[in-house]
Amino acid sequence: MASRRGRIRFNVGGKIFETTATTLANAGRHSMLGALLDDSWNPRQPVEGEAADAEYFIDRNPACFAVLLDLLRTGELHVPPNMPEKLLNREALFYGLLDQVRAARWGPFDGNRLQLVDSVSGRAPGDGTAIRAGPDGGCCVAHGSMVHVYDWMLEEHRPISLDYQQVNDVGYIDAESIVISARERLGKGDGGMGVFSSSTGELRHRFRVSHDNQVKSFTAGALSLGSSDYKIFASCKGRCNEYGIGVWDQITGQQVDFFYEPPGCSLGDADKLQWLDGDKCLMVATLFPRTDNCFIGLLDFRDKSVNWSWSDAGTSVSLSLDEKRVLHAIAIEDSRSICVVNQYDDLGFIDLRSNAGGVRWSSRSKLTNRKAPNEESCYPKLATHNGQLFSSMNDGISVFCGPEWVLTSTLRRSYGGSICDFSIGGDRLFALHSEENVFDVWETPPSLTI
Amino acid sequence: MSAQKKRTFKIEAFKHRVELDPKYAERTWKVLEHAIHEIYNHNASGLSFEELYRNAYNMVLHKYGEKLYSGLVTTMSGHLKEIAKSIEDSQGGLFLEELDRKWGDHNKALQMIRDILMYMDRTFVPGNHKTPVHELGLNLWRDNIIRSGKIQTRLLDTLLDLIHRERTGEVINRSLMRNITKMLMDLGSSVYQEDFEKPFLEVSASFYSGESQQLIECCDCGEYLRKAERRLTEETERVSHYLDVKSEVKITSVVEGEMIANHMQRLVHMENSGLVNMLVDDRYEDLSRMYNLFRRVPDGLSTVRDVMTSHLRETGKQLVSDPERLKDPVDFVQHLLDEKDKYDKIISKAFNNDKSFQNALNSSFEYFINLNNRSPEFISLYVDDKLRKGLKGVSEEDVEVVLDKVMMLFRYLQEKDVFEKYYKQHLAKRLLSGKTASDDAERSMIVKLKTECGYQFTSKLEGMFTDMKTSVDTMQGFYANQYSETGDGPTLAVQVLTTGSWPTQPSGPCNLPAEILGICDKFRTYYLGTHTGRRLTWQTNMGTADIKATFGKGQKHELNVSTYQMCILMLFNSADQLTYREIEQATEIPAPDLKRCLQSLACVKGKNVLRKEPMSKDIAEDDAFYFNDKFTSKFIKVKIGTVAAQKESEPEKQETRQRVEEDRKPQIEAAIVRIMKSRRVLDHNTIVTEVTSQLQSRFLPNPVVIKKRIESLIEREFLERDKTDRKLYRYLA
Repeated sequence: MASRRGRIRFNVGGKIFETTATTLANAGRHSMLGALLDDSWNPRQPVEGEAADAEYFIDRNPACFAVLLDLLRTGELHVPPNMPEKLLNREALFYGLLDQVRAARWGPFDGNRLQLVDSVSGRAPGDGTAIRAGPDGGCCVAHGSMVHVYDWMLEEHRPISLDYQQVNDVGYIDAESIVISARERLGKGDGGMGVFSSSTGELRHRFRVSHDNQVKSFTAGALSLGSSDYKIFASCKGRCNEYGIGVWDQITGQQVDFFYEPPGCSLGDADKLQWLDGDKCLMVATLFPRTDNCFIGLLDFRDKSVNWSWSDAGTSVSLSLDEKRVLHAIAIEDSRSICVVNQYDDLGFIDLRSNAGGVRWSSRSKLTNRKAPNEESCYPKLATHNGQLFSSMNDGISVFCGPEWVLTSTLRRSYGGSICDFSIGGDRLFALHSEENVFDVWETPPSLTI
Repeated sequence: MSAQKKRTFKIEAFKHRVELDPKYAERTWKVLEHAIHEIYNHNASGLSFEELYRNAYNMVLHKYGEKLYSGLVTTMSGHLKEIAKSIEDSQGGLFLEELDRKWGDHNKALQMIRDILMYMDRTFVPGNHKTPVHELGLNLWRDNIIRSGKIQTRLLDTLLDLIHRERTGEVINRSLMRNITKMLMDLGSSVYQEDFEKPFLEVSASFYSGESQQLIECCDCGEYLRKAERRLTEETERVSHYLDVKSEVKITSVVEGEMIANHMQRLVHMENSGLVNMLVDDRYEDLSRMYNLFRRVPDGLSTVRDVMTSHLRETGKQLVSDPERLKDPVDFVQHLLDEKDKYDKIISKAFNNDKSFQNALNSSFEYFINLNNRSPEFISLYVDDKLRKGLKGVSEEDVEVVLDKVMMLFRYLQEKDVFEKYYKQHLAKRLLSGKTASDDAERSMIVKLKTECGYQFTSKLEGMFTDMKTSVDTMQGFYANQYSETGDGPTLAVQVLTTGSWPTQPSGPCNLPAEILGICDKFRTYYLGTHTGRRLTWQTNMGTADIKATFGKGQKHELNVSTYQMCILMLFNSADQLTYREIEQATEIPAPDLKRCLQSLACVKGKNVLRKEPMSKDIAEDDAFYFNDKFTSKFIKVKIGTVAAQKESEPEKQETRQRVEEDRKPQIEAAIVRIMKSRRVLDHNTIVTEVTSQLQSRFLPNPVVIKKRIESLIEREFLERDKTDRKLYRYLA
């Protein structure tokens, strides 16, 4: 009770700490310290004088308590070099202060202030399919039929194993649930899509596709999770030409819609789906090398129409290797354009406002080093976040800003080979390297409180 | 353990501990279970939070989360069952209090249990898809207490009974009610809705259904509405005192449905107190209440509006077709205005200035005003009356108000061109006889008509004003230049009227007395001298004259007479007795006018400057007239009016009508040509609708007339029928 003029004394593992009620109030009622001091556990006010001697005993590590108490006092986290992160996280979890620790670790995402904080070596030797950032700062890495899940402390959880089904894409519904799309194997009624628990790896729900009230097995490809209306989109390939985009509800898990592939648009094999909140439509991109003719379209599910489309079919008659081929695409709603990238790492833009426009290529070759010819390369990938454009290229990621998309930063590490995929989420950037299956974690340092 | 560790540094030391765990888990759980018991028994002061928290933490850490969680469920359920028993055993009125107290206890205990198990809540619960502790506690309370067989119905009955008692006037413990309903809401909105709100609404519906039946039998409409309104406020208050905010819409809609919607027709048509009576008696308060209550239910306002409309149309129809009223046009229009004022006031005071009601009012007026085809004439007469004398000594603002009101009636008129005709006539009379009370008022009226109907409508009226003004100038010029040697001779005042601007009736020439003829000719020479290329025609039927007469006893009077009358009287300067025929011969005044003049000179009491043989009211062709020597009058000036109905006589009416119809023809044709010029090809029905809409602001053209006009235009080769489709017309450029 020891609250003489708001002062409180703790005995943590034999070490005495004295602090104030106001400092502890930062922990919140829903923390161990908050509950400890709550009136319901301290029914009687102590007699004055006696109070000075009273103290709360906590049977925990005093060194960690000191760090956490300091966090409550200042809002900053300073971990002594000899203290393992794991230990501190465990103690923070005990006190219910993990959220505060997480918030103090890194600040809001800014592509130009990123620092490499960790490199996690994976279990498998290279050739990862995809890496996805979770909303809380965790991530998952898919390769083959496995998905490795890491929480924000980069603690690996039980991996999700799909029994020899090739994982095509993964995505987070929330920190606790991961959607996985997988390839169907011939003769077996498997494949499709499922939701798995990120902490235990168990299957929670399987998404069904039904045609004419018959449940069909299918191969699920690229995924997109609409954030505003809780929908999941996936490109689907069925057995009997049931190609198209399936739509499910994130909450009920039921199929709510299906966009059958119209002629001239390949939807079932899409490389990239992206839900555009402002336009209420879905961008579908089917690109080289999966297909010879690249197709990018915007689908409106309300009237099942293709609002806008672009294709390089016909434009490149001679399929020479020198031809600039679109390898990845991302829609930037704010600038009403789609950004694409080719095999020479040139960025190109397609205007969404006109239906007839071609690609405006803007060569950036002069800005960056060309790759060494002998090095094994990966196809470039694109991402946007808060008006910044990210493009992976060889072993680095370039950050572009402003209306003219000027190169402002490059993120590069030397080992692990070129970057085969990267993802931004939970205020972190994860980059997966192809050769050694190492992934890097980049985060923005918390802004200093002056 | 440490001893073992020292001996062997293999990991087996750990394994040993794992094997000890079952007992450890059991022991730890016992501690926690005991603590939960103590918490429920209000005996928590001896417990150490730190120890309990650590124990729960250790259980989860050592993978006994499941045991901890299921243990919690069992223990809590056990306590809740005991609580249920004690609540069931509580005596009648104490039931709710006991429930409330136990709910408070449970909440407090739940809070403490959640504190102890916080670590489990954070780690074990989300990973294993369990319900968090707090929610679990609420669910268990719901299943074991609120939905236990003995408590569920008793709780509902008690709550509904208390509400019923409050409705019947008793005072109940509202704060207790609030606690209980808040508990139901805390347990989830579905619990509140299923276990309380739904039955509450049902019971309320039957309560109000019964009450409304009873009230409608014994109350009049106003009283019923007062009671319904009070019930509604009561229910809203009830919601604010102890129910969920979301219930307000639901319960008020129940009351509205039962008390208003179900009895709408009966209330509106209630004998001696229904809507019509309220309207007749201007019961603003009741009307306003009715409006506000009926607004809440579907079709409520339309019901009120329909009844008001039909009442208005009915009374309006009576008003415009009442032969008594038709006798006095001024009174007739005044009645219309009063009626309009009355309803305007009702709508603004009681109906919230509702647009739809205003529209209904307007359409009703439009309907019945146009039922009587003399309305345009009457309205013009009303203005005439007001502008002649009615507005004397009235402030400018008030004049505006009166004129605005008239304009409002004018707007209802379908046959605005008829009004124009009459207005022109009346204005001409006013101007020529100099009876206009206020020039400003006249002009203001013209401006109003202009803004309402456009320049075209008033151009001729304005022309009349211009003529009046130029006439004054002309006369000044005439007297200044030519007639400066003013002697005893008659003074002439000429008003030069532009042909076409004025409603002139073709009049036969009348023989003016020689004295007048001279000066007339002088004026003619003067006028034609200053304005070349013009023709002057004397409109002797419209002039007036002031003549001095000396009667038998030498008394002198100034007689104000019309030009015709002057001509007649001048004859008596040279003769004492003249027969009708002689007069007719001498003056050549058209017979009907002459008869009227003589009638006013000889037959009106007090103004009979002539004497007629034989004495009778009517003038016959062989009557003889004498100069009345014995004429006396208190006044020096005697105004001798012409016996003429202010209203038009039947043939005159016919004539006006005919002229209006005649005037409409070119307008309709012009409209048709305008439309066809832009559209080139059109079918008959479209032309009719377009023409109607174009001319609506002036009059409502008759489709038959339009058809005739089209035929006439085809004859004159403005249009032709399409060769393949006979319904189509083509414009021929």
